[in-house]
Amino acid sequence: MATYQEFIQQNEDRDGVRFSWNLWPSSRLEATRLVVPVSCLFTPLKERPDLPPVQYEPVLCSRANCKAVLNPLCQVDFRAKIWACNFCFQRNPFPPSYAGISDVNQPAELMPQFSTIEYIVQRGPPTPLIFLYVVDTCLEEEDLQALRESLQMSLSLLPPNALVGLITFGRMVQVHELSCEGIAKSYVFRGTKELSAKQIQEMLGLMKPAASGPQGRPVAPQDPSATCRFLQPVHKVDMNLTDLLGELQRDPWPVPQGKRPLRSTGIAMSIAVGLLEGTYPNTGARVMLFTGGPPTQGPGMVVGDELKTPIRSWHDITKDNARHLKKATKYYEALASRAAVNGHSIDIYACALDQTGLLEMKCLSNLTGGHISMGDSFNTSLFKQTFQRVFSKDYNGDFRMAFGGTLEVKTSRELKVSGAIGPCVSLNAKGPCVSENVSHSFPVTFFVHNAPIPQGGRGAIQFVTQYQHSNTQKRIRVTTIARNWADAQSQIQHIESSFDQEASAVIMARLGVFRAESEDGPDVLRWLDRQLIRLCQKFGQFNKDDPTSFKLSESLSLYPQFMFHLRRSPFLQVFNNSPDECSYYRHHFVRQDLTQSLIMIQPILYSYSFHGPPEPVLLDSGSILPDRILLMDTFFQLVIYHGETIAQWRKAGYQEQPEYENFKHLLVAPLDDAQEILQNRFPMPRYIDTEHGGSQARFLLSKVNPSQTHNNLYAWGQETGAPILTDDVSLQVFMDHLKKLAVSSAA
Amino acid sequence: MEAEDLYIKPGNHERGWNDPPQFSYGLQTAAQGGPKRAPLNKRVPPPQLTGSLCPVSRATPMIPFSPPSNPLAPPPCSMNTPLQSCLVAAPPISGMMMAMPPPPCPVVEQTHSASGQSESEPDVDDVVALLNWALAACRHTVKKQVCDDVAKRLKLFEDMWKSGKLSLPVRRRMNGLVQELKSRNWDAADEIHRALIVDHVNEVSQWMVGVKRLIAETRNLNPDLLHTPEADPIIDNRSTADSE
Repeated sequence: MATYQEFIQQNEDRDGVRFSWNLWPSSRLEATRLVVPVSCLFTPLKERPDLPPVQYEPVLCSRANCKAVLNPLCQVDFRAKIWACNFCFQRNPFPPSYAGISDVNQPAELMPQFSTIEYIVQRGPPTPLIFLYVVDTCLEEEDLQALRESLQMSLSLLPPNALVGLITFGRMVQVHELSCEGIAKSYVFRGTKELSAKQIQEMLGLMKPAASGPQGRPVAPQDPSATCRFLQPVHKVDMNLTDLLGELQRDPWPVPQGKRPLRSTGIAMSIAVGLLEGTYPNTGARVMLFTGGPPTQGPGMVVGDELKTPIRSWHDITKDNARHLKKATKYYEALASRAAVNGHSIDIYACALDQTGLLEMKCLSNLTGGHISMGDSFNTSLFKQTFQRVFSKDYNGDFRMAFGGTLEVKTSRELKVSGAIGPCVSLNAKGPCVSENVSHSFPVTFFVHNAPIPQGGRGAIQFVTQYQHSNTQKRIRVTTIARNWADAQSQIQHIESSFDQEASAVIMARLGVFRAESEDGPDVLRWLDRQLIRLCQKFGQFNKDDPTSFKLSESLSLYPQFMFHLRRSPFLQVFNNSPDECSYYRHHFVRQDLTQSLIMIQPILYSYSFHGPPEPVLLDSGSILPDRILLMDTFFQLVIYHGETIAQWRKAGYQEQPEYENFKHLLVAPLDDAQEILQNRFPMPRYIDTEHGGSQARFLLSKVNPSQTHNNLYAWGQETGAPILTDDVSLQVFMDHLKKLAVSSAA
Repeated sequence: MEAEDLYIKPGNHERGWNDPPQFSYGLQTAAQGGPKRAPLNKRVPPPQLTGSLCPVSRATPMIPFSPPSNPLAPPPCSMNTPLQSCLVAAPPISGMMMAMPPPPCPVVEQTHSASGQSESEPDVDDVVALLNWALAACRHTVKKQVCDDVAKRLKLFEDMWKSGKLSLPVRRRMNGLVQELKSRNWDAADEIHRALIVDHVNEVSQWMVGVKRLIAETRNLNPDLLHTPEADPIIDNRSTADSE
């Protein structure tokens, strides 16, 4: 429906919200019958270059258990200077500073176009950002050199008054003092001995921490630069730290033949978290772990040091043969929770050819809103540029980072939040309240019906996100939205046309991924299939028991294809991906915005040829033609595939001849489009330039729907397209089965 | 920023499979602020649900396929088949070199052309003199140890230049940096230092932090302390005194 598409897009642009349904059914029972739950994808800090923040505190409802923020949905009596909270109906007087408001002189927060508004509130002195580097020294010299250089370079990208610290580890863990003069000193810890936070703080000689303020309020330590010799302002220590980094040596402990280096990642992270906890609780900080292999000793070890014992694979995990998995995961989860509560995020930059233990360590980033970057070596463009982009700036010249976020969700009485998935921990507060480090799309939030719903009228939801901006200001962003109620019996068509199939696909996918973390793989696929069949039964137009009559309206037409590709995706299929790779893909899947998440589910395929401008084509083997160049974006990879004829022309060098300049343009066109993506995406994707018959073409072949395989090559009747050698079910077969099951009266 | 500073190098295919190309600092920052082309995010619904039978795209080939052996029919000539323009896009930012190096030949980051470079070859002594001028001004208020540390690094820079260890882009951009310093354009100088350390970290990492500190300290000085470089006679003595 054209109008709903526009409505959906406008809302996403303004509020960063995409709902699965934009008309809400007025009873709980009907809501469950819709199959896809009423839920939304929310990006708390969607970039809004056009939204200037206001410099005053938000006006809150005075009811103690409400405290909703004044918003455009509230009824206002301008003469009596009273407003009615749209969530609890409490009547509140305006504060004295609002004495001058009137019908023609409204404050921004009452205007409909400010359904999303940001307040700058400064409570207490501004606190600087903190960056703590935790560096693995068990690297090959080439990698270590590249890492040294990247870290030295990063000092020029940090804001001058940010605090920076350095911990290095291998067999031992060293915390480096960053004084401005004299000899460099460091405190050395054994990599095997677990210490409590208090012990760590005592051994580092840190002052007793001041009493922590309530969540979200920063506590400035007594004398920041004196208090912590380990975290110093960049502008003071940049020269010393540059030298220190330049002199970093490989871990001196020799590694015997047949053994892995002893890597004490667990203790290193424990010290990092403890150090920040003790000195700067409740302040924005970023721990950045750079590791070149798995933890092999101490708590949190993922594999032993004998090379003949490989690191756990999916096979080991399903056979319950992964010795360290549970213990290590529990260990890192405990660390992650401590960091998250303090508003500290943890990034992991893992560069190695083998697995590094991301499966166990992923919670460090997932629960704290940090990044995970996975590469082959620190001496690659993928790592270097991904790392550079961590420090990228927005249109205002501020970092695209935010810290210490708490998200509170308020709903009108008829709704209740039933959960949220994503990079966050629950604060277990009275109202639903989660802590996260923002700057990504916040995942699924569920709403179930609670109380009887009034006829007509609208349900409302308010998202309140408090956070520390990268320019150290404390800010509150408030997004208030409403949707109409509709009676499912009489208005099912309208509800159907309000379906956002893209948002729903991503929401169901995230639900699936969430389940996959705790359940068996096949069970999740069965669950997904059941939901899809039910949805088709509810909304498909068909004659009973007649599969050929089955049709779906436009608002659902892409949905089955999304589900088909989701079933084949690395998020739900662990085949061909290591546990670390799955963790990495899932990590990014649950934090990207809708468009990017959808790309991950069903990659985009564009075709370039002489026949016309570049156009999107079906992600199907039939789209692979000799005279076309295909650009496939899976989010993690960008593949440029040259069809057979194109490849031959290229090899023959026609692009060098002036009369074939159009061929040269054709070759360059997908490269230009790919470049745009390469320059902007975080993390940096892999880049594959391949052609018909090339080994790297497998990235394309494994993603396209195999409508033509070695099984049906001669039965199909299509002369064009490349057959895929697979036994995977094709979309056609999938759809046939789906239709049969949906129309069956036996179902 | 000059056009030569906006470049793309291929990735490190020896260390990372399918390593993406590396963009220079200039290109990266330009991309972040610049206008976006139409995003590639459209999809095509499958035919089973829209009624058509053919799963492939509508376009039918006009060129007869040649068998994958001799003779290979050439692509359509420019004169006969006007190529429609690509996705509607913002024009390339002026001065930007968009061409990707043709794979898989290893690309050097600069084409070394003998012509036309000699007049843009900066003079090391001029550059060093300007740096020392700034350092001299700092000595009044900034701690001695810091100034000595900066001086040490400037010396290292000078030595690396004179022994030919610095590439032309680095030398050229350092010249640009000191010109900005001279004109008190602190932000511009800072930006050049950042671009240099991102693009040429292996050449500059040891001494660039000294230049960074120099810019930071100089911009905070009382303007009175910054006499014009030509007017300050102490410069020459100090630069010789520093070169032990």
